Amino acid sequence: MTSTIKDQDHALMERVNHLVRQARLSAAVWTQYSQEQVDNIVKAMTVAAIENVHKLAIAAHEETRMGMIEDKILKNFVASEFHYHQIKDKKTVGIIKEYPEDNMVEVAEPVGVILAITPVTNPTSTVIFKSLAAAKTRNSVIFSPHLMAADCSNLAAKIVYDAAIAAGAPKGFITWVEKSPRLRRETELMMVHPEVDLIFATGGTQLVRAAASSGKPALGVGSGNTPVYIHKSASYASTAMDVIISKTFDNGTECPSEQTLVIDAEIAPALLAEFKRLNCHVCTLEEVTKVADVVIDPRTGGMNYKLVGQSADFIAEKAGITVNQYTKILLCPLEGDLRHHKLAVEKLMPVLGFVVVNSVDEGINRALDINYAGGTGHTAGVFSEDDSVVERFADAINAGRIIVNSPTSIGGLGGVYNNLNTTLSFGCGTGGGNITTDNVGIKNLINYKRVPRRKNYTLTFQTTKNIYINPGSIDHLRSLKTKSAIVVTSRSAARRGHLSMVLERLPSDCKVDVFSDVGVEPDFSTIEKAVAVMRQSPVDTIIALGGGSVLDAAKIMRLFYDNPDLKLQEVAVSFLDFRHRISVFPQTVHTQLVAIPTTSGTGSEVTPFAVLKDNKSKRKLSLVDECLLPNVAIIDANLTKSMPKEITVDTAFDALTHALEALASTFSSDYTDGLALEAMRLIFEALPETLKNPGHILWRHKLHNAACLAGMAIGNASVGVNHALAHSLGAAFDIPHGKANGVFLLSTLEYNSKIPRKFMPTSTYPLWVADQKYARAAQFLGLTDEDAKSGETPTREKMCVLLRRAVYDLARNAGQPLSVAELGVPQEQYEQHMVELVTGTFEDMSMRTNPALPLITEVAQLLVAAYPPRERP
Amino acid sequence: MTGENGEQAVENRRSEVLPISGPLERGIDSIDRTLATGVNLVLDFTDCKFITVDGLEWLEELLLRSDSLGSTIEFTNLTPSVYKVFKVAHIDSLLRACGAPSRPTGPNC
Repeated sequence: MTSTIKDQDHALMERVNHLVRQARLSAAVWTQYSQEQVDNIVKAMTVAAIENVHKLAIAAHEETRMGMIEDKILKNFVASEFHYHQIKDKKTVGIIKEYPEDNMVEVAEPVGVILAITPVTNPTSTVIFKSLAAAKTRNSVIFSPHLMAADCSNLAAKIVYDAAIAAGAPKGFITWVEKSPRLRRETELMMVHPEVDLIFATGGTQLVRAAASSGKPALGVGSGNTPVYIHKSASYASTAMDVIISKTFDNGTECPSEQTLVIDAEIAPALLAEFKRLNCHVCTLEEVTKVADVVIDPRTGGMNYKLVGQSADFIAEKAGITVNQYTKILLCPLEGDLRHHKLAVEKLMPVLGFVVVNSVDEGINRALDINYAGGTGHTAGVFSEDDSVVERFADAINAGRIIVNSPTSIGGLGGVYNNLNTTLSFGCGTGGGNITTDNVGIKNLINYKRVPRRKNYTLTFQTTKNIYINPGSIDHLRSLKTKSAIVVTSRSAARRGHLSMVLERLPSDCKVDVFSDVGVEPDFSTIEKAVAVMRQSPVDTIIALGGGSVLDAAKIMRLFYDNPDLKLQEVAVSFLDFRHRISVFPQTVHTQLVAIPTTSGTGSEVTPFAVLKDNKSKRKLSLVDECLLPNVAIIDANLTKSMPKEITVDTAFDALTHALEALASTFSSDYTDGLALEAMRLIFEALPETLKNPGHILWRHKLHNAACLAGMAIGNASVGVNHALAHSLGAAFDIPHGKANGVFLLSTLEYNSKIPRKFMPTSTYPLWVADQKYARAAQFLGLTDEDAKSGETPTREKMCVLLRRAVYDLARNAGQPLSVAELGVPQEQYEQHMVELVTGTFEDMSMRTNPALPLITEVAQLLVAAYPPRERP
Repeated sequence: MTGENGEQAVENRRSEVLPISGPLERGIDSIDRTLATGVNLVLDFTDCKFITVDGLEWLEELLLRSDSLGSTIEFTNLTPSVYKVFKVAHIDSLLRACGAPSRPTGPNC
């Protein structure tokens, strides 16, 4: 006896292996088919199915004794003709979808071998449907039919398969499990077979659960419990007809069909009268009990499967109720707590519960009771002429398809009453333990291969529109179009005579205010004070006169003056990618901003940046947006003549850092490179001369221009790790920005000229060229290797060393500190701040455009290396 | 024909390169006959752009026969579409004939 069972098991496994092997080979062969070949095959299959809709409907009815032949014919048509119409023009081979705006395409890859489990309720239509879907998507399919419907299901499979083979489909792409007492066991073996790629299960809850727990990807489509809310605004007559069409469709075997009606009291009498008129039987409470006793299986609390798909009069007879033989539906009032009523479950037969409600809220709540009694994710329906009711219902109910003003069963199938995808398999989402709420179809049987092309950013170059660039150009103020201006400046501007230079040149009819409270590192309270002044006495022009802090503050003042509702927190959010940042800046500003720099460093007059100190976090907030660009910049070197030597050097080193970092930035371009190189050259030329002769306007002019050119370069290419380090150091020890930049410059030039441990992942930077850029800078400066033999061309590495040496010599010549120790910061204190310095650097936005992605350890090393005094490279 | 002597014997056999011309839709008698003469075969797929289930089954059978004859069969010049068919088919002997490593778990069906 034992050996017999073993033999049987062996034979079963052999059968399983044979079926799966056939499917596997055909899945392999399918991969070679073109869209045209596939479409021809699908068409041939559809024609064969349509030719056999009657034959298959009769076969299904004879074998299952469920439903109605007439409706099964319609289902077969839906699965073939309607389904074909919906998929015939869909691309399922090669590139199936293009996303030109995202520079991406989708390419189809078949899923492979599908194990398709089919139900007893729709045995032939489901097979037709899944066969067409499998062929259209170049998949093989093994059908495992319901034991009570195996012959008709397999007949359907054979009909469409023969047609497919005649049209050139791969041999064995449709196979099926023959009817046998071990059909279920065979199915279970296939569910866990390694060569089955996907289980597509339509049927009873147990089978769907088994599929889901098989460890395979599964499209499991199970039971429902459809509530239908009938709002008072609905037409009772058409509602009654739609419900009857739906609930009697194939004697109620469709799982999206109505299970319980939730009827507004205002419409209930007319609707129930109409149901009666159309030959539905409204049960008394006594009859409801009788119906429930036969319809519900007392062991499970679910429907009695023996009555699935039977006619209303047959069920009534079983329940001991007398109705006429043409009765369409047994309508059962569900009295008491709906949540505990026996009939508040799925009943795939013409037995329909109903409750009467007194408001929309109550209606939706009762619908939720049904929905959550085994129907989540499946189907619901609503009849209402009031769109807001439909919206509220759809918002509350958890169903993959919420059918409006139409039959839920045929409506759920899609294609007949609406434009839902045609299906015989209703995805129920997580509410039903499924992966999708789709009307499952071809789109669920494809692996989508996304082929994104590299992002092609549109790089732009933007700067201040009007720049007046020669000594004496402050005279432009005489022709400035303004009636009311405010000069934003620092106290030192008045002392150095700059304020009077401005005031005496403004048009005589212009009302002028002065705000001179901008300190070295202003915070937001300064901005608020200035904006309050401007609100008291409105202005059309802001004239920013001073160094970087003044210019930055004026940019922010204008922003908040023009946009009173703006919040600082909203515009100062850090970002990784400028184009994807969270901050939303106003698109327009209407107050004119004139920037007049009195130092030759920041270039703020031509950048879209502004930095503000945040007193709470003790960090600097960076604002970045095109709307911060001034309208006018006046680069008049006369305003820098009185600049002290230390500030001259500090600011020149700030500008030099701008030039060198913009040159190597991941956002650098030919436009910014030219500006950066020339700015750098001007600084190397003019700084030593200015220091020799501080009052010489030509060299001051060159330095002033250099700062502006470098500003334009960083305004478009941004900066890098050197600025991140400098910001962090400056914040911790109150070091002026130019000095803070200078102490890291030799380290970061060396760091960035070596092959990075991690490249910066940026679409705009396809090739790491930082060392080439620095070598070019050295070449542009005309640097030569004093140690090289005559005629020997220096290597790129050597050129980078020459650049660092030139920076060293320039700094030493100018007396600029090149290390933290030289700034007078005690080593112990510096080391105590190390964690803060590393963190501050790493979080700084300037890092994002550095050509290398500095690791945290590398940041720490750069900080450590910047401490001891430097030696000549 | 096992062990080193066996391998030597296989290596000493004459090799013959045979093209698979056009789609491989069924077995090719001439290749069957050539294999029967005891030579090692190199099947050149340069001109083969399509392969059917029957073609796959014939190849698998051919490889079985060559094993029993103690000869070898090698597939060369596979187009990606045909090579993908072999990959998706999960038939170990076909993949070995392409020079691909044997699947550690072996064929599943």
